[in-house]
Amino acid sequence: MSMSRYECMQLLGARLNDDALVILSLGGSVDEWYNAAPHMREASLFQQQLGCVTPEALGLAVGLPHRRIVSLDTDGGLLFNLGALATVANEQPGNLFIVVWDNECYQSIGGPRTHTQAGRVDLAAIAQGAGIRHAYTARTLEEFDRHCADGLAANEPYVVVAKTDGILQPGIKRKHSDGREDKYIFVRHVEELEGITIMGPSEHN
Amino acid sequence: MRADAVEAVIRGLKRAGVSIATYLPDSLLKELYPALDADPDIRTIPVTNEGEGAALAGGVFLSGKRAVLVMENSGLRAATEHLARLGLGAGIPVVMIMSYRGEMGENNWWAIPHGVTMEPLLQTLRTPYTIVREVDEIEQAIVNAYETAYSSYHHTAVVLGGGIVR
Repeated sequence: MSMSRYECMQLLGARLNDDALVILSLGGSVDEWYNAAPHMREASLFQQQLGCVTPEALGLAVGLPHRRIVSLDTDGGLLFNLGALATVANEQPGNLFIVVWDNECYQSIGGPRTHTQAGRVDLAAIAQGAGIRHAYTARTLEEFDRHCADGLAANEPYVVVAKTDGILQPGIKRKHSDGREDKYIFVRHVEELEGITIMGPSEHN
Repeated sequence: MRADAVEAVIRGLKRAGVSIATYLPDSLLKELYPALDADPDIRTIPVTNEGEGAALAGGVFLSGKRAVLVMENSGLRAATEHLARLGLGAGIPVVMIMSYRGEMGENNWWAIPHGVTMEPLLQTLRTPYTIVREVDEIEQAIVNAYETAYSSYHHTAVVLGGGIVR
């Protein structure tokens, strides 16, 4: 029994406004998030970086401790760098909510299996073993939504592994910007939110 | 690592506005890590591999704070995947300080690959770098690395070698 990632995203998106910041992984989840939460487009960093997503979100969470940061990681991405969970546990960011979309496959390249497909590897248990007290698996939309509510209100790191069905939402608009453009959009949004300059003017214009 | 070199690194980081240091400790910079840990103006975040550190530093960049990734030069190999995607792919810069393992005069067989691979990898990643062997050049080299990283939105590196670390 697994659920639609797109419907999960709609539930999560409904709980966010654009003063939260999101970093997400590569593949099909990019276009799905772009459509499921259109109000979060500028507040989301769309990256193509296996193993980078949660560490990057941790860096953002450490740099902006007053702001809610959401990492939308994946089974393939997290398995690429499991040590990131140990670092999150040691640092105990009170503002980092980690969602792991676990569809048990590398969907963006046609669906070869990841290590979770055989049913032995339990990412939530790995996160708990790494020292993240709140780490859960959600298999229904109701469970997922409840973990979103709890995770977004938590004052310690919170992980929910969402078991999703691997079916891409059909008929959605493709995001057509690249990682470089996405970075500028995201950074300008953070600058406006925080009232700061990140990518500032040169000495001479 | 010489005590005056440790102080020079920290002076350089402070002049560059760095408040977060992520690292995977090594032997040549051994004295630097506890000094960073003890500094009240710098938050340190030890990581499990240097690629994770690169991504974390990239996330700090996006927050408007400034980070440094400190490691042995062998860490460049572990971080190459992440650095390529962050820097060449998205234009998210990571400033690195690394020890020069495998420099001419190296007396450990296992460290030879570190010297062989460091400069070609930095060049492959199109990452400008300064190899510093004099203590009085450390501080400005670090400040310069941040200036260039924040003008190019790409990685830069300061390599600490010679008598600074051996």
